Amino acid sequence: MAHAEAYKDPGTPQEQSRRTFMAQATIALGGVIGISLAIPLITSVVPSADASNQQWSPLTPDEVSMLKKATDNTPVKVTFDVHETNGYFGASDEEQFVWAVRATDAQMEKARPELFNGPDKLAYPVVNMGFTVFSPLCPHLGCRYSYNEAQKLFLCPCHGSQYNILGVHEAGPALRGLDPLPLRDYQGKVQVSWILYQANTPAHVVIQVG
Amino acid sequence: MLTWLDQRTGIVTATKDFLTEDVPGGASYWYAFGSATLFAMILQIATGIFLCFYYAPSTSTAWESTKYIIEKVPAGHFVLSLHYWGASAMIALMAMHLLQVLLWGAYKKPRELQWIVGVLLFVVTLVLGLTGYLLPWDLNALLASTVAIRIAGNAPILGPAVLHLLQDGDGITTLTINRFFGIHVWLMPAALVGLVAAHLSIFRWNGPAGPPIDEAPKLKPGRFWPEQMFMDTALSFGIFVLIVALSTFSPVPLDDKADPNNSTFVPYPAWYFIALYALVDIVGSLPAWMVQAASLFATIIGPTLLIVLLVALPFIDRNPSRRLSRRPWVLGLTALTMVAAIGLSWYGQNNVVQGQLAHNLIGPGAAAASSAVGGQTTATSTAAVQTATAASGSGGGAPAGGSAAGATVYGSNCAGCHGATGQGQPGIFPPLDGNPVVTGDKKAVIGIVNNGLNGKIEVKGASYSGQMPAWKGTLTDKQIADVITYIRSAWTNKGDAVTEAEVKAAVK
Repeated sequence: MAHAEAYKDPGTPQEQSRRTFMAQATIALGGVIGISLAIPLITSVVPSADASNQQWSPLTPDEVSMLKKATDNTPVKVTFDVHETNGYFGASDEEQFVWAVRATDAQMEKARPELFNGPDKLAYPVVNMGFTVFSPLCPHLGCRYSYNEAQKLFLCPCHGSQYNILGVHEAGPALRGLDPLPLRDYQGKVQVSWILYQANTPAHVVIQVG
Repeated sequence: MLTWLDQRTGIVTATKDFLTEDVPGGASYWYAFGSATLFAMILQIATGIFLCFYYAPSTSTAWESTKYIIEKVPAGHFVLSLHYWGASAMIALMAMHLLQVLLWGAYKKPRELQWIVGVLLFVVTLVLGLTGYLLPWDLNALLASTVAIRIAGNAPILGPAVLHLLQDGDGITTLTINRFFGIHVWLMPAALVGLVAAHLSIFRWNGPAGPPIDEAPKLKPGRFWPEQMFMDTALSFGIFVLIVALSTFSPVPLDDKADPNNSTFVPYPAWYFIALYALVDIVGSLPAWMVQAASLFATIIGPTLLIVLLVALPFIDRNPSRRLSRRPWVLGLTALTMVAAIGLSWYGQNNVVQGQLAHNLIGPGAAAASSAVGGQTTATSTAAVQTATAASGSGGGAPAGGSAAGATVYGSNCAGCHGATGQGQPGIFPPLDGNPVVTGDKKAVIGIVNNGLNGKIEVKGASYSGQMPAWKGTLTDKQIADVITYIRSAWTNKGDAVTEAEVKAAVK
C-alpha cells in the first residue's frame, strides 16, 4: 500500500540536517497556529466579569402596599422589576419577587442569631421598616420555594427543604436559613436590592449583586 | 465496476479488511452491546442534525421552536421523541456494555487504554444528556438545570469558576442556552466521534477479549462477517424497534415555558440521574453537623471518585486472571454498586412522585402544578399518569350528567391529589368516589372545601394523613358549588347538587 522508496536512502549529512530543520520548523509553525487560535477561542468562552455594584430596585406604590400587608404569621409575595441584562437581548425590566414578613429586630435576632453576630453577620440590616424580605431562591440549590398556609412553612419543591416564617431552616438538606435581602426607605422611596448567594453553603457567599 | 473503484480508492480492500476479523469462540450476542451503543449514537447524530434545522437556542425561541417541532413540523414530534428515547437507549446500552466489560475483566492488560477511552465516552455521554436537558427551555429544563449548575458551582475551589463558565455570566440567561447548545451539538459530539474512533482502533489493535476465561486466546475463532455482524445488527434492530415503539406510544412531553418565578413546579431528573437525586434527598435527613460534608460527597466528590476509580481500575486490579471465581472483590463491589444504584433510583422516583403530589396541595398553585405533572407522562409511575389525565380536565370517569363547569374545576384543582376518577392516594389523600362524607351532609362537604382539613382522618376503615388546603378565596363560591356538585354526582356517587347560595350561607 505505502510507496515509501524515499526512506530507503538515508541521504547526505546536508540533507539530514535540512530534514531536522524542516521537522522542527513544521512543529513550530503548527504550534504558532495552535496557540494563536487557542488564545482568542479561550478568551471568548470565559465570561467577562460583570460589574457587580449595589443596585436598588424601587417598589411602586402598589408594591409597597402589598409589602405592608405582610404580618408576623402571613408572608406576602412582593413582585417588583429588576433591571437585568439577558445576553444579546440587552437590558430590560424583568419581574422578580421576594417574600416579605413582618418582624422586629428582637424576634429575628432571637430566631436567627447567626445573621446578627459572628462570622456570618450580614452587612445590612435584616429588619427594615418592620419587615424582612427573603430572596425567593432556596439556599439549598436555588429552586423557588413557596409558602404553605396550612403548615405555616416555606416549602421547596426540589429537594424538600422547609423553613419557618422567620426563615429558620426546619427540615431538608439546606445548610442555612432563607436569605434576607437589603430593604430600605430611601428618600421616601422603598427599594430592594437583589443579591444572589452561593448555593448549599452554611455561610453567605455573594455571587452576584444587582 | 467495483474493481475500477477499488483501484482508484482502495475502498473495497479497506472494507474487506474491516470486516475480516476473528471472533474468539465464535459469534455471540454477548459481544453485541458495544455495537448496539454505536448504533444508538449514530441514531442520535442523525436525529440531532434534523432537529438543528428547526431548533433555535435563546430564551425567546428555544421553547417556541421546540413547540413548533412538536406541533407543526411534519413528523417533528416523532423525530424529537426518537432523539429523546435514543438518549435513554444509548445510556442504558453503554451502561450494559461497561458492566459486561467490568464483569468479564476485559479491561485488564493489554486493554487498559481501551477501557479508559470507554470510561471517557461514558462521561461525555452523560454530559450530552445533561446539556440536552436544558435545551427545550420548559419548566423542568430550567429547574433541573438550575440544580445541576448550582451543584457544579458548589465544587471545592473550581466551583465558582465552573459556574460562571457554564452559565456564561452571573445568572442563567439566554447566553446559557447558547452555551449548552454549543456543548451539546458540537463540543461533546466531536469529542464522542474522536473517542469512538480511538476506542475502535485500539480494539482492532488488541482484538476482542473473548469470554471471562484465561484460555480465551486459544478458543476456536469464528467470523466477524457475517456471523457477528448479523447478531450486532439483530440486537440494534431490536433496540430500534423499541425506540420507535416508545416514540410512538409515549412521545416526549413539553412542559410550560420556563418561568423563573414559578415556585410550585416539582422538577424531575432524567432516570439516569435519579440515583444521585435520591442521595441529595437522603443527605437532608442526616444529623445537621454532617449534612454539609455529606452533601458535598453525594453531589460532587462521590461521583468524581467513582469515575477516577473506574479510570484507575486496570492499574489497581493487576491480577491477570479473568476467571469470575478469582475476582470476588471486583465482582462484589460491582454488584453492591448496582444494587445501591437501583435502590436509590427506586427511592428517588417515589420521592419525585410524592413531592409532586404534596405540592399540588398548595392552594393557588395547584392548577399550575397539576398541569406540570401532566408533562411527566413518561414516568413509570401510575400516579403521575393519573394526574396527567386529570390535568387535561376531561376527567376519565366523568359521568354524562355531571356538572361540566365542576369537572373543569376538579380537573385543574383537585385531581392532582384525589385522582381523575376520585380514587385518591393510599395513606395520603382519601378517595372521593364512594366516600360517604362526600355524598352525605352538604354543610360538612362545603366546610371541608372552604376551610381545608388537617390531621389524620379515617375513610372506609383506612386512614389518610395528607393536608387539604382551604379553597375559600382561591375559588369563587360558584366554583366551589360547581365542584361539590360534580364530586357528589361523578363516578359511582349519587348525591344531589349544591347551589352557590348554600356555599355563601356556609361562608357566613
